[in-house]
Amino acid sequence: MPHVVTDHCQDCRYTKCVDVCPVDCFHGSAERLYIDPEVCIDCAACVPICPVKAISDSFDLDGDGDALVELNRRMSLELPVVDAVAEPLPTAEAKRVALGY
Amino acid sequence: MSTATPSETTVLGACPHDCPDTCSMLFKVREGRVVGVQGNAEHPFTQGRLCAKTNHYQERIYHPDRVLHPLRRVGPKGEGRFERISWDEALTLIGERWRSIIGQSGPTAILPYGYLGTQGLVNGLTVGDAFFNKLGATVSERTFCDSGASTAYVMTVGPTPGMDPESLEHSRFIVLWACNVLSTNAHLWPFIERARAKGAKLIVIDPARTQTATSADQHIRVRPGTDGALALAMIHVVIAEGLVDRDYVRQHTVGYDELAEHVARYTPEFAAAETGVDAGVIRQLARDYATTQPSAIRIGVAIERSAGGGQLVRALACLPALVGAWRRPGGGLLQLPLWAFPVKWDRLHRADLIPPGTRVLNQWRIGAALTGEIPLDPPIRSLFVYNSNPLVVAPDQLRLKRGLAREDLFTVVSEHFLTDTARYADLVLPATTQAEQHDLMFSWGHLYLTLNRPAITPLGEAVPNAELFRRLATTMGIEDPFFHRDDQQILRESVDWDHPSMQGITMEMLEAQGYARLSLPSADTFAPHAEGGFPTPSGKVELKASMAAGGNFVLPTFRQGSNEHQDGTPVPALPTYRPPRESRSASPELAARYPLAMMSPKSHSFLNSTYANHRRQLSREGEQKVFMHASDADRRGIASNDLVRVHNDRGSFVGVAKIGEETMPGVIIAPMGHWMASSRAEATPAAINPTAFADLGCAPSFSDNLVEVSRA
Repeated sequence: MPHVVTDHCQDCRYTKCVDVCPVDCFHGSAERLYIDPEVCIDCAACVPICPVKAISDSFDLDGDGDALVELNRRMSLELPVVDAVAEPLPTAEAKRVALGY
Repeated sequence: MSTATPSETTVLGACPHDCPDTCSMLFKVREGRVVGVQGNAEHPFTQGRLCAKTNHYQERIYHPDRVLHPLRRVGPKGEGRFERISWDEALTLIGERWRSIIGQSGPTAILPYGYLGTQGLVNGLTVGDAFFNKLGATVSERTFCDSGASTAYVMTVGPTPGMDPESLEHSRFIVLWACNVLSTNAHLWPFIERARAKGAKLIVIDPARTQTATSADQHIRVRPGTDGALALAMIHVVIAEGLVDRDYVRQHTVGYDELAEHVARYTPEFAAAETGVDAGVIRQLARDYATTQPSAIRIGVAIERSAGGGQLVRALACLPALVGAWRRPGGGLLQLPLWAFPVKWDRLHRADLIPPGTRVLNQWRIGAALTGEIPLDPPIRSLFVYNSNPLVVAPDQLRLKRGLAREDLFTVVSEHFLTDTARYADLVLPATTQAEQHDLMFSWGHLYLTLNRPAITPLGEAVPNAELFRRLATTMGIEDPFFHRDDQQILRESVDWDHPSMQGITMEMLEAQGYARLSLPSADTFAPHAEGGFPTPSGKVELKASMAAGGNFVLPTFRQGSNEHQDGTPVPALPTYRPPRESRSASPELAARYPLAMMSPKSHSFLNSTYANHRRQLSREGEQKVFMHASDADRRGIASNDLVRVHNDRGSFVGVAKIGEETMPGVIIAPMGHWMASSRAEATPAAINPTAFADLGCAPSFSDNLVEVSRA
């Protein structure tokens, strides 16, 4: 199963991940990012980069892994590729603290 | 080594697997336990990335099924029932059996069987060579991968590193030929993307529509095994249309006039009929390749796997010289940068210890060898397997299974797990994973030496392969101190530290940084053959190969250093097309019964059969898939997700049909790696793979394989 972006990204959008992705598999809305599972090659370079641990191998998501893959797949079809690092959202720091990172 | 937190340390490691990328890998250790691994972001080539195989390497280390103690068989062969014994008992048993076998039949009744299950200089390809050569055992010819391509490459351009993979970013035209980079050479991709960002065009030549192919500017689909016609037609067009770099050819090649005359027959129309590629596409490919300099060709391992695979690589090794691609960084041919590493092969193999005349057996023939279908005197009475799982990787699975089931065959397997092969062992010995051993890694995909330091002490009674062979040397009464060097000493003596390419590289530096780029010019300036200087007999690119006069051969690197009993079959001196052995034109009767060509490429999440017993990787791969084109599926009444049986005269296996554009009409694709024990019908694609060799280097011909598919 491929890697996915989880809800941790919501209201954060640090986008550090897109800088290390070798295949430009990230897509994004104004609030968060998603991974196109058809493009991700599972190199995992983005996993330790994310300040809020928002990226995970879907295998490790108990129960809802498949649903998250589908969400990431669906949203990637609708949203544009994000391949440039952007400023985090103004809400990012508060979300990070709330998540305990 | 650096410390992240008081409780967590980071140990510099290296991926052990048989992959061109040899990643710098960080082991995260807490309280003596590896809690995770991560790519090393400092490494200029692997850049902090690992892959679907190795991202959770700790799950391999602590897998509940790991073999951690010596085991002795208690049930019938293949059943997989064992009892724990001590190392002393295991070694005593081996000593008794081998002394008895040697006394009765001589040492050649013992066959070593290993490859690159781990590919370090200490514990990898050559770890058992000195021991078995000293013992006088049958020499194993290990032509698992790239042996055919290597013979062709060396015949044409010599054992040169070729182009620096990192210099691909300076290429303006890149051809990935039989190479699924995104699954099997993924760390090369960013260099290709950098080139594309600067305007380079990317072409993928592959029967399969891989993710790499869909990411390219152009995907050219050839019928399996017909690529040679395409490559020769490219040469034809380059010469016929005057696109040759005449100065380069005059100064740095031999045999041009004969080649030009020879390829007159290989018109684009001829190639179109063979490959299924439109003649106009072939012409344009040749023109673009020749005129968009620097141009690069990256070939994958599977390129050799058909009757004419060797001659195909001969043709591809001629092309860069014809168009002057070698003149600039980013131009040339990328095969095995392995040749750049000053490995002391002689000291690793110790071929000097082989009793003169000792027989050589090719490992792809193990099934026929064990069942007596190859007449051997003496027969193989003991098999010692390490770094390999032949039941899944070798062809002719059914025959091999019969051979391994022989009650009189004394089989010892050193492993992490009870693999399909290990289940047939009389003794299973516990091997360490990379986290538990010391090693130094060359690479066959970049120019960095990488040091692997042990992160933890070995689990249970597992030992590194080097320690295994020290113990076996003691068991067999070999006192020569060479056989009792510790891992550090083996490691230090495995490379020539005085070689110019090692200038400035020290053990201290490797221990501090984990890796070091060979002392070669930077990828921005490295054009190793801008001024010729090819390590061939003539010093030039041998379009007409002088080494062909000696007939077919396997590089001694792939046969424990031995150069005896080479195949010697006549080899055409000029690159010559040979159609697939199993094809409508070459074997019409066979093609009538088995009309589909099968390929069995690498799976994205498995490294051959490694990781195919891990839940994580299995969940991604699912069970054995059989990709079919709708036109072939419809004709057979097969729908997606139907169970299908793939068969030919050699055997059969069962998989799940996947209908789509992944493959082309007339071709099915069955990714390899699944274990027999967890497969339906307890068989895998290896059950129907042919044992016939490709034309050069005794390479396998797994992509030259006719089959039929029916609903299971």
